[in-house]
Amino acid sequence: MAADKRPALPFVLTASDLFDGDVVFFAGAGWTRSLGDALVASDEAGADRLETELASAETRGLPVAPYLVKVSVSLDGDGIIVVPDHYRERIRSRGPTVRPDLGPQAQERQHVSL
Amino acid sequence: MYRYDEYDDRLVRERVAQFREQVQRRIDGALTEEEFLPLRLMNGLYLQLHAYMLRIAIPYGTLDSRQLRQLALIADRYDRGYGHFTTRQNLQFNWPRLRDVPDLLDLLADVEMHCIQTSGNCIRNVTADHFAGAAADEVEDPRPTAELIRQWSTLHPEFSFLPRKFKIAVTGSAEDRAAVAVHDIGIRIVRNDDGEIGYRILVGGGLGRTPMIAKTVRDFLPKGELLAFLEAIMRVYNLEGRRDNKFKARVKILVHELGTDAFIARVEEEYARLDGAVLNVDPAEVARIHAYFMPPSFAELPARSARFDAAVARDPAFARFAANNLFPHKVPGYTAITVSLKPIGAPPGDASSDQMRALADIAEHFSLDELRVTHIQNIVLPHVRLDDVPAVWAALVESGLATANAGLITDIIACPGMDYCSLATARSIPIAQDIQQRFADPERQRLIGQLGIKISGCVNACGHHHVGHIGILGLDKAGVENYQITLGGDPGNLAALGQRLGPGIDADQVPDVIERIVDLYLELRTGDGEAFIDTVRRVGLDPFKVVLQAKEPILAAA
Repeated sequence: MAADKRPALPFVLTASDLFDGDVVFFAGAGWTRSLGDALVASDEAGADRLETELASAETRGLPVAPYLVKVSVSLDGDGIIVVPDHYRERIRSRGPTVRPDLGPQAQERQHVSL
Repeated sequence: MYRYDEYDDRLVRERVAQFREQVQRRIDGALTEEEFLPLRLMNGLYLQLHAYMLRIAIPYGTLDSRQLRQLALIADRYDRGYGHFTTRQNLQFNWPRLRDVPDLLDLLADVEMHCIQTSGNCIRNVTADHFAGAAADEVEDPRPTAELIRQWSTLHPEFSFLPRKFKIAVTGSAEDRAAVAVHDIGIRIVRNDDGEIGYRILVGGGLGRTPMIAKTVRDFLPKGELLAFLEAIMRVYNLEGRRDNKFKARVKILVHELGTDAFIARVEEEYARLDGAVLNVDPAEVARIHAYFMPPSFAELPARSARFDAAVARDPAFARFAANNLFPHKVPGYTAITVSLKPIGAPPGDASSDQMRALADIAEHFSLDELRVTHIQNIVLPHVRLDDVPAVWAALVESGLATANAGLITDIIACPGMDYCSLATARSIPIAQDIQQRFADPERQRLIGQLGIKISGCVNACGHHHVGHIGILGLDKAGVENYQITLGGDPGNLAALGQRLGPGIDADQVPDVIERIVDLYLELRTGDGEAFIDTVRRVGLDPFKVVLQAKEPILAAA
């Protein structure tokens, strides 16, 4: 579902890892598997940066099938919470809703339980 | 069952070696993603919502215990301990890693399996009646025909780049359990007035965004002419099928746009031009293939089993299983068992590696080492002695595989939907789970009787919703999951496409609406236990429309 044009701010840049297919997000100095660590574009400068990075990923073919995703950002105590606006991207960033033991959501659960 | 000869084996091994090299070149950067994409798809490897997905071909849904154990091993070693059986009798792994796939394919090749032609615009895995070789109503086992087509279509140079994908199904029984009328080509093995066995050939069926019921293009084709006739159909399609628009590229659109008579005329014209003697296979080769599917050595048994009857009388849970999940076998004293992969609240079609091993053990001990995958996403043990059914049932209970709901309202087909699929517009599995929970009571299910609910998470219709007695299609309506309900679909002899009941509804309304449809059916059905689909056929859609209207304003606005 590669978006051809820039979504409304704020947004993040996502793709799939070539080697294991994991969902990844651009984090500024590389790519992360955690949406919470993604670089969020919330102004024009940030948007330009992610678009440049999108073009670069497309050219390199690494990671695979990159595109921009509209998110909402809220504050939560010490940090921020980043949530995609569309349910497809929310599911994609967490894992299958019918298997909470699989995908990034499984790590979150583990983290919370520790 | 069919065993690879040296050509099959070499072909599969060579493909694994090629793909190993292609993966390495992609990882090294020698291949771009654009270059690599068609190569991985040719080997069944998709990139899905969360990960890669590998689709493994299970020709005509037939497996033996050795193969199923290998699939279980792969699930544990290279995936997350489970697999998903699909509506095309295939198996999908949802989490393989790219660098592991060549090793995984080698493990498949060890048991004569592969992922070739499980994607791309080619002739896909050929499907067949899951009770093939067992069904009491069978004219002839469809698998030798399906195997012949598999060999003919595998890497066929002329048909490797068709306008679009191409699906063929074969049934050899009076009752169509392979949904042949909604395939690009559907083949029915029939007997003519002279008692000869041949083929009725249907073309141009399909689901997806433009569902169509196939048209009969030859009422009776002599058996020996099959490949030349298929070749004629494929040539007409390959030449005239639309390549300008992906959504109009399937053969169903060609048949529809030309008209059935004109399409038949083109096929017959092409067929007359072909050199049938060259294209049709040597009868000795046909006999060789048939020999692999000779009936296994069945024992001579009485038609009734005292042990079975006693278990039915003793145990209501077993009696329920026996009433719902057994299918009449052609040999006295045997039965075919449907193992439901639809336990209440679990994703339809999923089986854990432990369950796969348990099924392999059961098949080896009790079903002459044979298993079948059904397009309804269940497993069949085709050749079980009635005497052994209680023992099989006990083993199934131990593995959580004894759900007694085959053909009932909770035996739901559901595509992976947005929980896994990158094409999906809405989730399917949670909808199936909610409906299952609502109708979990076995007695209520028995009262409702045969009712097939089929759910797709997008218009591509992998969940066969168009031919569900009740069909459910999940769409994205302004960023919210929305579900359209259809009634009256039928995949069988009286193939029909379901009609939309009305405006779409929200996910949380689906169980209520289904329940109202079912309650209304129970009121409307005739006293002799008229089946749901027969009631819908008799009364039409109109009486059911009230189930959508009799709701709060939110529905009217939807």
